[in-house]
Amino acid sequence: MAKTTFKGRVVLPGKVSGRATVSRQAFNTSGSYMENMFAGRTDAAPCTDASNEELFGTDLSGAILCTPTTVGSTMGGMCLMGMKAIGVGPQALLFSKPIDTLAAAGVLMADIWKDQRIVTIDMLGDEFLETVNTGDPISIHDDGTVEVG
Amino acid sequence: HGELFGAERLADCGGAPHSSLYTGSPWVEPVLEMFEEISDAGLKAHAPYTVNPMPLDLYSVGQDPVKRNMMLDTYPLQGRLIQVHTRLGARSLDSWGCACYVPEVGNTAGPGTVVSWAESSAVNYGNSVLGMRINRMATGMEVLCAIAGKVPVFGVLTDEGRKAKWHIDVRLSKEPHWGALGGAVGTKVVEQIPYVTGVDQWLTLKEDGSVDGTTMGKLKAFGSATASSGAVGLYHMENITPEAIANGRDQLADGYQTYVIDDAEYERVLSTFNNRWLDPDGDPTAVYIGCPHNTYDEILYWSQKIDKAIKASRQEKLAIPVIMACSILVRNRLLDEHPVLLRDVRRAGVRFTTICTPAFQGLKGMADIDRGVTNSNKARYYSRLRLFGDDDLLEIAMTGKIPA
Repeated sequence: MAKTTFKGRVVLPGKVSGRATVSRQAFNTSGSYMENMFAGRTDAAPCTDASNEELFGTDLSGAILCTPTTVGSTMGGMCLMGMKAIGVGPQALLFSKPIDTLAAAGVLMADIWKDQRIVTIDMLGDEFLETVNTGDPISIHDDGTVEVG
Repeated sequence: HGELFGAERLADCGGAPHSSLYTGSPWVEPVLEMFEEISDAGLKAHAPYTVNPMPLDLYSVGQDPVKRNMMLDTYPLQGRLIQVHTRLGARSLDSWGCACYVPEVGNTAGPGTVVSWAESSAVNYGNSVLGMRINRMATGMEVLCAIAGKVPVFGVLTDEGRKAKWHIDVRLSKEPHWGALGGAVGTKVVEQIPYVTGVDQWLTLKEDGSVDGTTMGKLKAFGSATASSGAVGLYHMENITPEAIANGRDQLADGYQTYVIDDAEYERVLSTFNNRWLDPDGDPTAVYIGCPHNTYDEILYWSQKIDKAIKASRQEKLAIPVIMACSILVRNRLLDEHPVLLRDVRRAGVRFTTICTPAFQGLKGMADIDRGVTNSNKARYYSRLRLFGDDDLLEIAMTGKIPA
């Protein structure tokens, strides 16, 4: 597939390449990591949000997560920080909309207090999520440029 | 953090903080380490604060040794978590609960007061019903801001940020399940602010303009579901919530969108609530009431409803236990005001607990042994619990069977 390039706002810079994990509906962070948060699972992070038909059951470990925003419980931000710490958190978060307060707090606390970076770009625009599909090759650059394909 | 949202200044916090840092699981350790470092430096929150429910209860639901061990296995850091909250200035454990604003707990402040709260349902209630000013703060960030005594000014801390971008036009022929209605709204508007019309006939204000106990429960159920199915931190409800009363439909932003919920749309929403029990044809094993935690009026309502049904039947006990979640302070009021009723429903099989229902349901192995039903759409969203109306739940508790 041809490469398509998008430019967003850099929340936390970094270079990451891999495959995209896409949720076109808002990503419910707490609802998605229930097995890790409450059942003690550390070997994988199967998405537990049954209302998310795109990702339910998909392993979220090391994901480059592409979604409009995050929603749900206020534990969501700390959840991102904690999942990173136990090795099943996302590598990167790519938001089509402006980042929400919960995700912002989670990635900033992880970065500042624990030196654990989740590369985060927001405001990539609706076309980004209309273009990218789960499994697509994706590259993130320091300046907030995201290449799909 | 605030700069990401355009904040140019910090506001002093009033009231008292509320924290949703409540689970002592291994994955929480980085946050505990952060706050241990802060408390080692001698810092404390600007005011004594409340915390979400304890996720383990060894005296009530923990009577079952299997479930007791599940809780102890899952929360090995609970002691550290309690210690760090104590050092940072948390209130005593009997006030820990997600509905910090109920009168018995009393963590509220006047309209317009800026506070540092997490817990999506509490933020939602404080903004919407009490008129406080609270951005949805992540667990951890709310305690950091509580220590600073300041929060960044953006979003619903500003007048413009409290305008509604959605008109929710409810046209139902009968009173809905408030959690189901809230779930529909949260799914539609996601993080934006709704202005709801067409529901005030089922809600009651007291003479002083505050909501009565029954209405508090309905708004808690509605709001918590908007915040779990979406990310709604504030809603306005025509003729009910303070800014809707003060400003009417001027509270709607220019260019707002409209979502009509009529009987057909409501039924469509209910049809999406699938049975996710691992044994979908099995019989129910427990009834879970109260997520967010019950108010006093709710535990009184349910206790009277259950007591009446037991005494009208030839049963001494419910067929399956009813797990009634509330803070100890709320349960103690029932002990003070209706001690015989409390005695009788406990003997019938009602287990009062401080547990967080989704946390309890999420324990490893719980889905294998428990087929629960609930009145909470928030609990349904975060677990395998099935949602039913009050009369069906009573029948299930009495018979141990799903109604035909």
